[in-house]
Amino acid sequence: MSGAGLVLDGVSAAYRTETVLHEIDLAVARGELLVVLGPSGAGKSTVLRVVAGLEPVTAGRVRIAGRDVTDQRPGLRNVSMVFQSYALFPHLTVAENIAFGLEVRDTPRRVARERARAAAETVGCAGLLDRRPGQLSGGERQRVALARALVREPDVFLLDEPLSNLDLALRVEMRAELRALHDRLGATMVHVTHDQTEALVLADRIAVLRDGRIEQVGTPEEIWRTPATVFVARFVGSPAMNLLPAGGPLLPIGDPPALPVEAQIGFRPEAATLDAGHGAPATVDRVEVVGEDAYVYLTLEGGKPVVARVPTARRPDRGAAVRVGVRWADTHVFDAASGRRLAP
Amino acid sequence: MSAGSGTGPRAPATGVGRAARPDARSRRQLALMLAPYLVGLVGLVLLPALVTLALAFTHYDLVRPPAWAGFDNVTALVEDPIFRIALTNTLVFAVVAVPLRMLLALGLALLLHRRAPGAGTARAAALLPTAVPEIAYGLLWLWLLNPLYGPVNQVLRVGGENGLTALGRTPPQWLTDPTDARAAIILMSLFTMGETFVVLLAARRALPRDVYEMAAVEDATGWDVFRRITLPLMAPVLALLAVRDAIASLHFTFVPAFVVTDGGPPPYATTYLSLFVYQTGFEYLRYGYAAAATLVMMVLTLAAVLVQWRLIRRYRRFYPR
Repeated sequence: MSGAGLVLDGVSAAYRTETVLHEIDLAVARGELLVVLGPSGAGKSTVLRVVAGLEPVTAGRVRIAGRDVTDQRPGLRNVSMVFQSYALFPHLTVAENIAFGLEVRDTPRRVARERARAAAETVGCAGLLDRRPGQLSGGERQRVALARALVREPDVFLLDEPLSNLDLALRVEMRAELRALHDRLGATMVHVTHDQTEALVLADRIAVLRDGRIEQVGTPEEIWRTPATVFVARFVGSPAMNLLPAGGPLLPIGDPPALPVEAQIGFRPEAATLDAGHGAPATVDRVEVVGEDAYVYLTLEGGKPVVARVPTARRPDRGAAVRVGVRWADTHVFDAASGRRLAP
Repeated sequence: MSAGSGTGPRAPATGVGRAARPDARSRRQLALMLAPYLVGLVGLVLLPALVTLALAFTHYDLVRPPAWAGFDNVTALVEDPIFRIALTNTLVFAVVAVPLRMLLALGLALLLHRRAPGAGTARAAALLPTAVPEIAYGLLWLWLLNPLYGPVNQVLRVGGENGLTALGRTPPQWLTDPTDARAAIILMSLFTMGETFVVLLAARRALPRDVYEMAAVEDATGWDVFRRITLPLMAPVLALLAVRDAIASLHFTFVPAFVVTDGGPPPYATTYLSLFVYQTGFEYLRYGYAAAATLVMMVLTLAAVLVQWRLIRRYRRFYPR
């Protein structure tokens, strides 16, 4: 990873009068796979469209491989894009679809077809070259869309929720293939998703986006272990991180860090223990059993909800009175007003 | 349905079953609703067509009862030079005017499908000539094409001297020269492509946007986008509209030829089949002979419908969904 593959420098964008990106700063290293993660309407796709040139910026600069492309038309930016809908041409065969980008750039037909075949082999759809998109399954279309992006050698690959139209099993399979493909090609990729698992599994680094602003950029481990804001903490992880006032009723075990008055503590469901002799008293509302794990939904005295993950074999019954404990070491502390991380 | 809605979760299933195998009552209902259309179809279209078919083999002047003539009318048609001219005129008109109309409608649809200032007004303007009553439209063109004071030739004479165009040529004698008159009828027909335009506008707007964005990312030129994406994706609609327009072209030459050129100038330069049938039947009272000529129009229409049917089948195979 050397040099900048893609740099967004204070980029803002707007649809009509509504600003959807607010001065985004983002740098993707050459050969890095950056995942842009966020809920619907956060502006994830807009980031890609701004990079591709399909949407104009209202402020800031976009640089791809060191070139300022802010005012260039999409075709001159040397990016490849995989659309969420795949955007395959229904009247062309798979081979013609893959070769499209080469043929409109005046690559000789024979060369274009050979490279299309090679790209198809890379993603495992070489057997489909003579079919039309209407005859393909969702997963096959996805492969064709990938092959079409691979057939050139772009400076940046832009992937707009490419896995969201696949069923779960296929999504998991394609996720792994996508990661392997990236490792093999060493290409700069920006992958947009709302699926936190996908982000954690795929990414070299994750940029969490919320309402057109970047909340945090970091490796999957940093995002998981040291979420910068309450939003990141609760968006990544399922069920979401528990969030309680630092003053009680639940006081973590161990030596507390120095806390300001207005603080919130957060801990993940797996950090909570139910079989401790100490901790805050709570009532079990319901229990969801997912194989070996059971998610226990509790209400603390005072009405605050807490979720705990426990082994299924040791799950409490509904309505049972238990004590919830957590250690300071597993606790995140956030400023209650700004939502920003305070400690550790 | 009101009885089914109270029976709990099984109600939708019975509803589906009923729709799949309509019982006697709902079949009666369907028949009742279809009846007005069927009565109209039989009484106003099928029966007259059959009568025409029968009359084509008779001598009939609308006064005396029809007399059986066998194939006299058909053999007479084959030998009739005026009929041959009318048939040629009709086919030439279709071959020239239909592609031009399609081209104009497609061009306007591609130009005006985007949201842009003035696009709505321009769309309305493109549609407007189609909405003008045919006779009024014909009379308007009679004035527009007047060789002396008509605006068309006044514009053509701009920059020229002594009533000639800027290139020193005589401006077209729209209504008196045979070739110019045929061109005039085609020119008139170009502006009434409103329906084709609207369908193409809708077809273009229904094309997926991401496909075009894809093409933009791949740096396809406007010509490449048109040739490789827009045209093939719109081809089914274009083909069907072209056949439809070819069928319609048998008829929409009638009013212009009737009002503006009256089938002239000699020798029968703008006598089309429709006008030929009208004049033979209602001016010369050779009703049986006119019916035989109508039969030829029906055969042409039938041929076009067959082409259309084959196109539909072909494109259905092309798009399996």
